[in-house]
Amino acid sequence: MVRKWFHIAKADFYVLTSGLRNHRRLYSVAFYALGIVWAVYGAPLLIDGVLNAIMPMSAIRAMLMTMFPGLMRSAMMVLWIMLLLFPMTKALEEIKIGHWEIFLSNNVKTRDILMGSFLGGLPLYGLVTLFLAPLVITPFILAFKVSLIGVALIYTILVLTVLTVLWISNFVTAAVQSKLGDSSRGNDIAKALSFVIAFAGILPIYGLMLAAPMMTEILGTDVFLLLPFTWSADVVSWIAITFNGIGLTEYEVAFFGTILQLDLLVSALLACAFSVAILVLTLGAAGRVFTITAGARTERITTVGRENFILRVVRKLSSDSFGTLLVVNMKDYFRKAQNLSKMFYGVILAIVLPIMMALFTNYGTEMNLIDVISSFGMMFAMVGAFPFVGTGFLESKDQLWIIQSAPRGASRFVKSRLVMAAIADVFLTLIVAATMIFVLGLGVVDALLLLGFGFMVVIGSSMVAIGVTARNPNYEDTKSPAHQANMMMAIMIPMFAMMGSILVFIFLAVTGLDVVLESNIEPFVFQVLFALIGPVVLLSVGSIFVISGIRSLSSPDA
Amino acid sequence: MMTQNGICIKTEALCKNFDTVQAVKNLDLEIATGGRFGFLGPNGAGKTTTVRILSGLLKQTSGTADVCGYNINTQREEIKAITGLLPESPGLYSKLSAVEFLEFVGALNGRNGESLNRRIDSLLSMLGLEGRQDDLLESYSSGMKQKVLVASTLLHEPKLVFLDEPTSRLDPAASAIVKELILILAEETETSFFICTHMTNFAEDVCDMIGILNEGELVTLGSPESIIDLAGTSDLEHAYLDIVGGRVDRKALLAWR
Repeated sequence: MVRKWFHIAKADFYVLTSGLRNHRRLYSVAFYALGIVWAVYGAPLLIDGVLNAIMPMSAIRAMLMTMFPGLMRSAMMVLWIMLLLFPMTKALEEIKIGHWEIFLSNNVKTRDILMGSFLGGLPLYGLVTLFLAPLVITPFILAFKVSLIGVALIYTILVLTVLTVLWISNFVTAAVQSKLGDSSRGNDIAKALSFVIAFAGILPIYGLMLAAPMMTEILGTDVFLLLPFTWSADVVSWIAITFNGIGLTEYEVAFFGTILQLDLLVSALLACAFSVAILVLTLGAAGRVFTITAGARTERITTVGRENFILRVVRKLSSDSFGTLLVVNMKDYFRKAQNLSKMFYGVILAIVLPIMMALFTNYGTEMNLIDVISSFGMMFAMVGAFPFVGTGFLESKDQLWIIQSAPRGASRFVKSRLVMAAIADVFLTLIVAATMIFVLGLGVVDALLLLGFGFMVVIGSSMVAIGVTARNPNYEDTKSPAHQANMMMAIMIPMFAMMGSILVFIFLAVTGLDVVLESNIEPFVFQVLFALIGPVVLLSVGSIFVISGIRSLSSPDA
Repeated sequence: MMTQNGICIKTEALCKNFDTVQAVKNLDLEIATGGRFGFLGPNGAGKTTTVRILSGLLKQTSGTADVCGYNINTQREEIKAITGLLPESPGLYSKLSAVEFLEFVGALNGRNGESLNRRIDSLLSMLGLEGRQDDLLESYSSGMKQKVLVASTLLHEPKLVFLDEPTSRLDPAASAIVKELILILAEETETSFFICTHMTNFAEDVCDMIGILNEGELVTLGSPESIIDLAGTSDLEHAYLDIVGGRVDRKALLAWR
């Protein structure tokens, strides 16, 4: 009998490990052997050494044991989020409906596709878990002196949890992909989703954590006991308690019982029942989820309408061919859901920290401009860099040929992209700065200065992002080394450039010039000038990258 | 300086290597102004590479060439200003409509305003896209995308047009329009055409000069009639198959079973 799921898993595994194709077997075995050695010997040895260096185990044992049940639930929740979101994000970056059409046309059952793609990805995520899980588990294993059987059981529960969560992730991803389809529009929406999906997963968890006491009051029970990750976390806790080597007394075990509420048997039954139910339900629903032939490839035809107010204003202000280029570039950029999603992502990342700090601490009170800039100045860099780096610049090499075949085409294209980014940056800066000004309660002068500072950093970062991408275009490929390098550079370069102000400050302090300057300049003016060093350095670095990007994109291929 | 003694393209010992692969070997070619040159050859013969070198997009490894009197080493921008290129595969913007994409290409070439809009409307109407001109290109079929690309290549009235597989995705009616367009542009406006194609029928109907490239080397050069005569065949397809060795052995076709 042909095990179709096996061949799908094998193909997926080959794709996943294509970078190691010459020594695939050797590396796979070596990595897993290393992982097992790490989990069994390396991690315990390392963590024991570190803990003892900080404080003897006898001194922190009681603390670790008390923390254990709660921390185990948190760790399991993080594991769930990571394993649910990371594979989904990766899968949405590259829709694979084309593969499924081949499978289905070769009479492969939908459950074989699900099983194959699940098993194909398992080795990678299993390996990641094998390396990361011991870091969290080991301190407690050491504190409870869990026996070998206990350790084996804990890892078995972890493996079962990982399998269940990956299976759910695999199923949900398949469902989303098949609904979006392998179309230009579907791909765009999928990529947009891949950015915002992290918020979709994390924000409800935050909400749950904040609202848990209230819900517990309403339901009359600990609301976390209703969540599947709690069951597997509690099973791990009970195993550590049951197989402890420190001789826990009956009273101590009863104490853990009051924290955990459900006993080992009930928690284990709930965790197992959940896994089995998920498997049965998803396999049963597989046929209904994969509705590729029912129209995943069907595209909605979008007809463009009249130009909006902003585009009409831009056309009026710049009525030459560059203005036309700018308007068309704006249309192309802002119609892509993935670009809007990247903007949303950058803005949320920038404002979430000040909002959280203002809401949950007394951080916002009595802050001046320099405090705000020191704490959140770097956030503006993300707002400017993230939307304009990597994807969304050029769709394909063929597109680049078209641009390059016009006289000074690449140069005009990059310049128009830069102006477009500057226009977008005005609105992005306004949103982020206004939020900071509101939640941190800044005065009018500080607010205006923050706005100016923010715009300089945002535009400088956009210049770096556009320059970096023009130097090494990665088109729509988010898995290429070029994409990873571009992302890294566009985030790191603005950060280092902003640190220029710190270097200047050190230089002034070492040479004693700071005292001279402070005695001759008003303290407020001195602070403002000091705050401007970073943005000025960033704008200079950004200009260099743009010029270099234009040159690189304009020169013919070697 | 548009031409030199009526010569539109002149290459001398043009070579291009990609690592160990020699894509183009010592290409010597002269094409007359207003001519319609057909560049034939099997997949991977080096046709697209030659077009990219001549249009200033790719550096040659050695040798040199003049395009419309401009040197490909030192005058790439001048070459781009008076040439048009239809690339092999469509690199269109998925989120632009046909009109917007043509506006983009026009703007890249320094054109805008009413005259550009009129030209866009005429070209789209001629190619049968007037009903779909405001739909996003992501919903176009590959043939429709090819028509948009043909329009974008002619938009700025180039003196020399490089067409890389212009009719490979087109239906017969659209192919006929492109064929007539080439003939009338060459006749009325002295526009020169450099056409890479696999379609021997198309090349025989349209081109006044044919070059056959095989494994990077120019193996045949002449008018379609002279090549057919030389090969002693009835048409260009058979002459081509004789020259590049593509005759089909029917028995071998089932050998894989």
